[in-house]
Amino acid sequence: MKRPSRLRSAYALTAAALLATTTLASCSGAGSGNTSSSDSSVLTIQGDAGNPTLVENFNPFSTTQLEGTRLLYEPLEIPSTVDGSYTPFLATGHTFTDPTTLVYTIRSGVTWSDGKPFSADDVVFTFDMLKKDAALDTTGVWSQLKSVTASGDKVTATFKAPNVPFAATVSQVPIVPQHLWASVPKPDTFTNTKPVGTGPFTLKSFAPTLYSLAKNASYWQAGKVAPSQVDFPAQSSNQSTNQLDVSSGKFDWSYNYLPDVEQTYVAKDPSTRAYWFPPGGTIALFMNLTKAPYNDVNFRKGVSLSLDRSTIAEKAVNGYTTAASSSGLILPNEEKWLDPSLPGKGVVAQDQAAATAAFSKAGYTLQGGKLVKGGQQATMTLVMPNNFTDWIAAAKEVASQLGVAGINVKLDLPQYAQYETEIQAGTFDTAVGGFGGSGSPYTDFNNGLNSAYAAPVNTPTVNNFERFKSPTVDQALATLARATQEAEQKQATYKLQQVMYTQVPIVPMYYGGSWGLFSTAHFTGWPSENDAYSLPTPYNNAMLLIVTHLTKA
Amino acid sequence: MRYVLRKVVLFVLTLWAAITLNFILPRLMPGSPVDAALARLSSNGVPVTNAERAAIEAQLGSPNGNLLSQYGTYLKDIATFNFGRTYSFPTESVSHTIWQALPWTLLLVGVTTILAFVLGTLLGIYAGWRRGKTADSVVTMGATFFAAFPPFWLGLLLLYLFAFKFELFAIKGGYSEGLTPSWSPSFLSDAFQHSILPGLTLAITSLSGWVFGMRNNMINTLGEDYVTFAEANGLRSRTVATLYAARNALLPNVTAFGLSLGAVVGGSVLVEGIFSYPGLGNLLYIAVTNHDYPLMQALFLVITLSMLVTIFIVDLLYVRLDPRVRREVAS
Repeated sequence: MKRPSRLRSAYALTAAALLATTTLASCSGAGSGNTSSSDSSVLTIQGDAGNPTLVENFNPFSTTQLEGTRLLYEPLEIPSTVDGSYTPFLATGHTFTDPTTLVYTIRSGVTWSDGKPFSADDVVFTFDMLKKDAALDTTGVWSQLKSVTASGDKVTATFKAPNVPFAATVSQVPIVPQHLWASVPKPDTFTNTKPVGTGPFTLKSFAPTLYSLAKNASYWQAGKVAPSQVDFPAQSSNQSTNQLDVSSGKFDWSYNYLPDVEQTYVAKDPSTRAYWFPPGGTIALFMNLTKAPYNDVNFRKGVSLSLDRSTIAEKAVNGYTTAASSSGLILPNEEKWLDPSLPGKGVVAQDQAAATAAFSKAGYTLQGGKLVKGGQQATMTLVMPNNFTDWIAAAKEVASQLGVAGINVKLDLPQYAQYETEIQAGTFDTAVGGFGGSGSPYTDFNNGLNSAYAAPVNTPTVNNFERFKSPTVDQALATLARATQEAEQKQATYKLQQVMYTQVPIVPMYYGGSWGLFSTAHFTGWPSENDAYSLPTPYNNAMLLIVTHLTKA
Repeated sequence: MRYVLRKVVLFVLTLWAAITLNFILPRLMPGSPVDAALARLSSNGVPVTNAERAAIEAQLGSPNGNLLSQYGTYLKDIATFNFGRTYSFPTESVSHTIWQALPWTLLLVGVTTILAFVLGTLLGIYAGWRRGKTADSVVTMGATFFAAFPPFWLGLLLLYLFAFKFELFAIKGGYSEGLTPSWSPSFLSDAFQHSILPGLTLAITSLSGWVFGMRNNMINTLGEDYVTFAEANGLRSRTVATLYAARNALLPNVTAFGLSLGAVVGGSVLVEGIFSYPGLGNLLYIAVTNHDYPLMQALFLVITLSMLVTIFIVDLLYVRLDPRVRREVAS
């Protein structure tokens, strides 16, 4: 009988598939192929990962929405992911009448793409819908809100507790039309294949490998929209094919980490090809603070002082980004919030003597090149997802640098989902992970350090998974949440940076990049170092900011 | 009749075992569907939050309920062909997702399996009949050469050479960007163009197995007394080769062919992945990476069912093909 062996082999396919990803990822090439559409008013954006075909879903509250949805609907305002400054959309601005009361002035003269007028009632309807269905509230606005009401052209959002920085989250909720969504029976599984929004584009056509948006002629700032059409071809499920597509110049805007970008991308057409790789988040070591020796600040300081961060950045991301500041801020993006009293902008330099001193305060002595306490060498297991090649390269460098310091470092590379489970449950040893990147210091520190998130081990938490608890942090966060004046906000932010710098709850290593690749052949006005109005990310509201910022070449 | 009855009982038992394994195995994987969804989001670079986790949990329902009650619901759902929604694309039903991918795999893998079987068997018969001659050496050596190619490697090579270097074929997908699947001649020819490279990859790498199998069976059968008898009777050599030797040598290959037809539905994960082909193999890969229990279960069910059904049919076919089985059935 051959049955059992055949059954087994069906399951073996699964294992083979997992192996395949690593094989595929390691194979890449470069060359020329089709060039982008000859019609110069069509903007081609490297779109969603088709698996390998796309599933039509223009529901702006779905976690599997197509990226183009962000050009169909608008939020009230969009804060820049670089420095948090607001660009108004459906609201003309906002003020806090007190730290729990946020008032938006709603723009007049805006119409939905079906011709019906937009009003403050649509805003209230949208927020109320999220309140009724928790599955739609992916940013958790109702964890902070008490009510949202309209009166004339004003919309008032009342918070349960003072939370001024949370305006960034409230402002970014996409607003949908009441006259259509009121009759949607199950908005969380609604695929919204005939989207009606206020955005600069409307859906033109959808096919499983490509969808197109056409310019909305009645858009309220139609004069600022240069493309007549936006095409989103599906990405391949095979990463090497994607890289071939990108380097062939098929896209006006794509988002990819390319090794040696000057050679593999720009050199193909130096007059039109550009890239901008600004820092978009901090890649850091997260030691599990519920475990010894990581619960000892001296040990954490020793680790931080043992690292040569520039070398790590060089190994991980070709040196496209730099060593990260231990203030917890992303520099230079958030320079205006930086505590001037931190030496060297908070970037900790490698100092082996100081590291040894810190380790000895933690009870570790260096014996024959090994850090030893009670006859045991210090060990550390670094966990990270097996497909994040830049993190793995960084971790290998960390392992060798900490090895010199006398710690025995091992790497653990599980599948991404298992990595998520481990860090959320708090069963990891030390994790490589990302910190910050929202553009708002409050949001970054709150997600990263707020004691309220420090769940017991085996209770999952996405935020503060290193499980740091500090009354100083909580107080500073509360002050920051109440502060409406910049001077006050700065003082509270300085306090948070001091905790980051002196308590080392997280060890920042280098900045993760935002990998924007552009072509200026059809459109100019892409974000750049000199015009840093947004990070070049096509997967969040930055898309709406950038597309309304382009001009025809 | 006892033969058929025994086969039916065995079929039902195997089906139950397969269905149960199918339930258990995906749940033994480390990680959870919610974490997989979060992982997918944060690999884009989006900072994820506890709020997002709560929303995703609400979207997926509660996949982490009591295992026994999950098993009960699972059996009931299978009996009523209700597979629910996928976790990977929460707006899509599992049945619809599978129906969309099924024809691509059936056509690509099915057609190449049949082609490889027919061609491989013919070559095997020829090589076996001319055993020890130059023709045999050429066929056997050629087959050994191609058997040594791992399918994914050959796929990457063909992709690099014919799609990227010489730009003869499209680099990805089952059809050109922007087209919608239909039965129009222009779409079919476009789809055919796209299927050439993955088809070649599959056919070349599976051909050798049929050649070897058939050649060895032929050589065995040619040693049988009745073949010598036929030759001694002065029958034409072609008659001896086809009607006497090949017909009998074919029997084990038919079994193997039945099995590989059953396996067609499982698709070819690696080859479909390389060519971004919209078939079941790719779907299976997505389901596994997303901890998509409903989709995984339905896919494995389809795969095991088609496997069991083809085995069952082959078993019954044997009654017609093999007189020895027929005698057993009659007794």
